[in-house]
This record gives sequence, C-alpha cells and structure tokens, in this order.
Amino acid sequence: MTVGTHSGRRHDVPPTGTAGPGRAGPRGRRFDLLPYALVTPLALFILALALVPAGVTIVQSFFRVDELDPPTRFNGLANFRDLFADGAIRSSLVNTGLYVVIGVLLSTVLGIVMAVTLQRPFRGRSILIAVLILPWALPGVVEGLVWTGIWDANIGLLNSVLTSTHLISHYQVFLGQHRFLTILAIELVQVWQMTPLSTLLILASLQNIPSELYEAAVLDGCTPWQALRRITLPLARPGIAIAMVQAVIATLNVFDQPYVLNGSADTGASLTMQTYFISFQNLDFGEGYALSLLITVATLILSLGVVKLVYRQVEF
Amino acid sequence: MTAFRYSRTVYLAGALVLVGAVATGCGGGKSGSGGSDKTTGVTITVALATEPPPQASIDAFTKSTGITVKWTNTDWDSLQTKIAAAATAKTYFADATDVDWSRVGQLGKLNWFYPMENYLDTKALAAEMPQLTSFSSNGHVVGIPYDASFLVTTVNKKLFTKAGISTMPTTIDEYTADLKQIKSKNVAQYPLNIPFAAAEGLSTYWYQTTAAFGGTILDGSGKPQFATPDSPGYRAAQWMVDAIKQGLVPPGNINVADSQGQQTLMAKGVVASTFADYSGNVGSLYSVPASSTVVDQVAYLSTPGVGGAGPNMSNPDGIGIPRQAKYPAAAAKFIDWFTNAQNQADFAGASGPDKVMPGYFLPSRLAGMTELTEKGKLIGGQQLADLLKNSAKPVFPQGAPSWYPEFSKSVYTSLHAAATGSMSVDDAIKAMAGTANKLSS
Repeated sequence: MTVGTHSGRRHDVPPTGTAGPGRAGPRGRRFDLLPYALVTPLALFILALALVPAGVTIVQSFFRVDELDPPTRFNGLANFRDLFADGAIRSSLVNTGLYVVIGVLLSTVLGIVMAVTLQRPFRGRSILIAVLILPWALPGVVEGLVWTGIWDANIGLLNSVLTSTHLISHYQVFLGQHRFLTILAIELVQVWQMTPLSTLLILASLQNIPSELYEAAVLDGCTPWQALRRITLPLARPGIAIAMVQAVIATLNVFDQPYVLNGSADTGASLTMQTYFISFQNLDFGEGYALSLLITVATLILSLGVVKLVYRQVEF
Repeated sequence: MTAFRYSRTVYLAGALVLVGAVATGCGGGKSGSGGSDKTTGVTITVALATEPPPQASIDAFTKSTGITVKWTNTDWDSLQTKIAAAATAKTYFADATDVDWSRVGQLGKLNWFYPMENYLDTKALAAEMPQLTSFSSNGHVVGIPYDASFLVTTVNKKLFTKAGISTMPTTIDEYTADLKQIKSKNVAQYPLNIPFAAAEGLSTYWYQTTAAFGGTILDGSGKPQFATPDSPGYRAAQWMVDAIKQGLVPPGNINVADSQGQQTLMAKGVVASTFADYSGNVGSLYSVPASSTVVDQVAYLSTPGVGGAGPNMSNPDGIGIPRQAKYPAAAAKFIDWFTNAQNQADFAGASGPDKVMPGYFLPSRLAGMTELTEKGKLIGGQQLADLLKNSAKPVFPQGAPSWYPEFSKSVYTSLHAAATGSMSVDDAIKAMAGTANKLSS
C-alpha cells in the first residue's frame, strides 16, 4: 500500500488533548474543527436513528405499552413470558430457524459457486454480473408477487411445466399445506434475492487473491479442485463470513416473501411478521418491543458466531 | 491553496447544514394542540389506498374552495401502519385518511380520529348512506363511507345452465346441491371459489356464510356466538371446510386470497360461483373483456340462506380526519365534496370516462347509485341498489370491537389450518371462540 502518498497526512488531527478549540497545541498546531464537523452529522444520524430507538426498545420491552390498555407501566419480564407462552410465536420461532438454516446455507454455497465462476475474466462477464444483480435490486414484495405466479397451485408456472413434462400427474400445492415445503419454497425466493450480494462479496475477496498463487500451485501439480479447497476457499473466508452475516440478518428478519406468498398462516409466518401483527394490528407495542429485542439479540449472537467460525484474517 | 480553503469552507458549511437537518428531522413533527380551522388558502394531504379522482375534478374543488389537495396513494397495509405509527407518536401524517370498517372499534376507542358529526350532518347522511352504521363507535361517527362494499353471491349462469340447472338456488341447501351437480356433470371440476389463504378475505367470507346460515359472530359484549356445533357460525365453518374436502373448491385455494380467486378463477370460468364475492365485481371485473373470459355470464344472486335470501355483510371503505390533522375543517370540506352524490356517480362513470376515478365502482350514497343505474352505467345496478338499501348489514351492529384485528387473525389462521387438515373444525372453532372470550373479558 502506498500510504505514504496520502494527501491527508498534511492535515492530520493532533491527538486528543493536545490542543483546545482555537488554541495552538504544544507543537504549534491549531485545533482542526473540520473532521469533527464532518463526522457529527453521521454520528447524529446513528445516535438518532439507531442508538436512541435501540435504547427505547430495550427499556420499553419491560413495560406494558398497549395503546388499548393505557397507561404505560412497568411489568418486568411479563412481555417476554407472554411471548413464549404464545403458540403462534413458538411456531414462528421454528419457521424462522428453518429460514435461517436454509437461507444461509444455500445463499453461501450458491454465492461461492457463482463467485468462483465469475473469478476469471471471460466474454460477457460484466453483462452476466449486471443480470445477476437484478433480483437483489427488486423489492421483496415484487419478488413475492412474481413468484406467486410460479408457485400458484391452480394456475402456477411450475405446475404447468411439471405436468406438461409428465413429472407429476396433477397440480400440487406447494405453499400452505406442509410446513417444510412451504418454508423451502418461500426461502428459495429469498435465496434468489440474497445470492447476488453474497456472490459480489465473495467475488471481491477472490479478486484479491494473487494469480501467482494459482500459477505456483499448478507448477506443483495442483488440480483445480485442490486449488479451490486449498487456495480459493481459505483465502475467501473474509468475504464468505461477511456474506453469511448478511444472510443471517436477512433471513432472521424475513417478512415480505412469507407475507406475500403465504399470508399469515402458521406454516410460514416469521418472527418479524409476528412483530408487525403484535405492534401494528394489536397495538401492543410493549410486546412488540420485546420481540424486536429478542430478534436483535439473536441476530447479534448468530452473526458473532458466524464471524468466530468462518472469518480469518488474510494477508497476501 | 485557495482551492483547498474554499473546499474546507464548503465542507464545513455542508456539515453544519447536515447537522441542522438531522436536528430538525429528529425534532419530530408534533402538531400539539389541534389543527387550524382555516378552510381556504391551505393545502391538505389526503392519504388513501386508491388512485385519486381525475385532476380536473380536484382542480375544480380547489377553485371553488381555495383548498389544494395533495393526494397520496399508499397500499392498504402500509397505510394502516402509518396511521397507527403517526397517531401513537402524535405526529402529523395526513389531513384525511382511510378508516377501514374493521378498525372502527380501535380508532373509536383510541380517539385517534375526529368525530365526523362535529363537521357534517351525519344524521342526515345516515338515511342516504346505509353503510354509515359500520363507522359508528361509542356513539360517534369515526369516518364516512366513500364507496359501497358488501358481500354478494355471484354465479356463472352459463355453467349452471350447462349442468342442467334452470332455476337459481334460493337456499344454502339448494346452492350446495347445485354445486355438487355441476361437479358431478363435469361442467367444472371445482365449482366453488373460497379463498382459504390466511388473510382477511377468509374471515369476511366466513362472516358472510355465517350470516347466510342465520347467525352472527359476536354478541353486543363481544362474546362468540359460534362455539356450539348447532350454531350458524360453526355450521358455516363446517360447510366451508367440507366444500374443499369434498372437492367443490380447488385444492390450490389453500393459498388463494380473495381478489386472486376472483381474478384467476371466477373471471376465467374455472369456478362457477363465489359465495361471498365483492359487490361491483360483475361490472368491474367479470364483464371486462381485458380481465375476463366470462363476459355476460356472471350475475349477482340473492344470498342463499337457510330458508330464503340471507343478508349481505358490509365491508365499506371510509375516510376520516386524524386528530393530528393540520387542517381538519378543510379536510371535512374535502370529505363532504368527495362523498357527495353527484361526484360519486361521476367517479363511477355516470358522466363519461373523463370524470372516472380509477378503481371506484359503487357510490356509498343511494342517490349516486340511482343515478348510475338510471343511466345504465352499472351492471346489475337495480339489484345492487336494492341490496344496499335493504339487505346490506354491518358485520358487527355495535361496531367492530377494538380488538378486531387480533380476533380476525385468529379466525383466518384457524380456518386456514382446518382447510389444510392440520386442525379439525372443532379445534378451529375452539381457538377462535377462545380468542374472542379472552379479548372480550
């Protein structure tokens, strides 16, 4: 890295405490307000839009905040107890667990396969990448509507194709009848949406691998499969870890796809959907806060677990 | 060097502007002590889940009143979330917005909307708008219905005739027998459309079927009236689930929502009847060649009941004024204009395509309906006008309870589960009744 040529070095901020506002520091430098001023809007944004709501969520989750049952009052762990006693929440917990497992596994494996495919330049590669990104760019609701036409049990494309190719004798119900099949069908839609981002994140890691490593490996008699296992995958671990973390976050918070494709049925309802129902239909914000908090904690734990298991510092 | 100083100054100014913007944005928009009484020279925001009336009509309103209208078309779910979030935060959101019949109890109890009797002569309106009763809560009118919507039975007469049925059914038993005949004669493999997706449309279908069986859902104190096997609600649920198990309903309807079934099954001639269809669908969907293959084949049918024609459950769309409105009086003037008989008739097509409001089909005022019918602009108009005047009843005569959304979710998830076979009808009814008992106590 040619950091020495970085132009910003001429305007370095002195260490904290070396100078007060508008005064010359020990070495004659003046306090520079600009970096702080530039950082302040972002800091305020984060404070206002992330930290304050997070703090409010944590505090309010221990209160009864029900618009239909005022006033707001402290009720300890009652919101959490009510959540775990609710059969719909327990069902959604299982569903969400399945979404996470299926979604993270599939999007990571497919992301690796696509990234490896795109690793070397070939004609039309840029166009292929642009096309790949399309599903990622579509809103979840739109994707749900598009895929409704595929999964529909009465007039769906998949049933039509399968019957016309004589793979099935009569139309099948893919959504709503059986839990695992429903979740698999819904999660495939989300995987279709997430995989482009996973691919790009992993591809970015692959682009950093020096080609000399592969050349040396070939000279040593390494097969392509061995190169993948011994060079590509170990060195792509930072990208794979980030891709898996974004997949964990997306699948734990899945809403649009199950809501559009399967309504509120227990066979596919996610925890985030329950948060919406509790908060904005029942107007029981305290319980909604509690469920949001649990989802956030689960997201943090799972993300940290993924980073711990998969992420490795890579130096070339 | 000069360029550098200039950049620093610009960056610093930009940063300060951003800080100001953030601070302003975080300051919230509390309107505090109520809105202004001004009714001229103001701009109001109207947020509904529908396309606006033609711009020329809105311009004419602005010209005559001095009120400029900013229309926001938001999908229904998002709109309900915005209404709840804004009201909870006591923040301005719109001057006039959606009041769904199913949320009247919540909105009334929470006092989130101005009573409309403060602004309009609602007693006079009641005689002209039969569905106004669906918007009453605790003695107040929370919103004004801007269209007429009630559940009706539709039949594909061509398919009925093809099956040898010359006389249309008048009772639920005759109706069921006719559907079985259509199936047995292979005229339609699955003759009945019931939207079994776990969504609101399944709840309303059951309410209508329960009414046809001669019952109600809840009593005045919110207690369930459908818990015993001989109750109309229980029998209605059993009839619906039996219909899918006996092959009268397409198996794929497990995951078909109400409008989806109307568009892809009824409008395509796949099924022969929808027991609880939306009023207006014959004219707006089934008779439109671009969206239908059954043009001139589908007609309304008086609800087949236990011993004759049953009632039609109302589910109209309303418009009201949130407490945080900036200009409630101006919003009331707009609602008065938006719901007057002539405008409603124009929006529904009585005066030609230039005045049509996309997606608007049935006026909530009888006079508007009459004008449309007399001009021949409404298919089945006379029948619909009669149903609206004489047969359309609110699902909950005392107004929807404040806990309706939670109850409805229990209804549609339980009935859906019963249809998939993962729950018996008895267990589904127990779950629904248990929810009603818990919420009403």
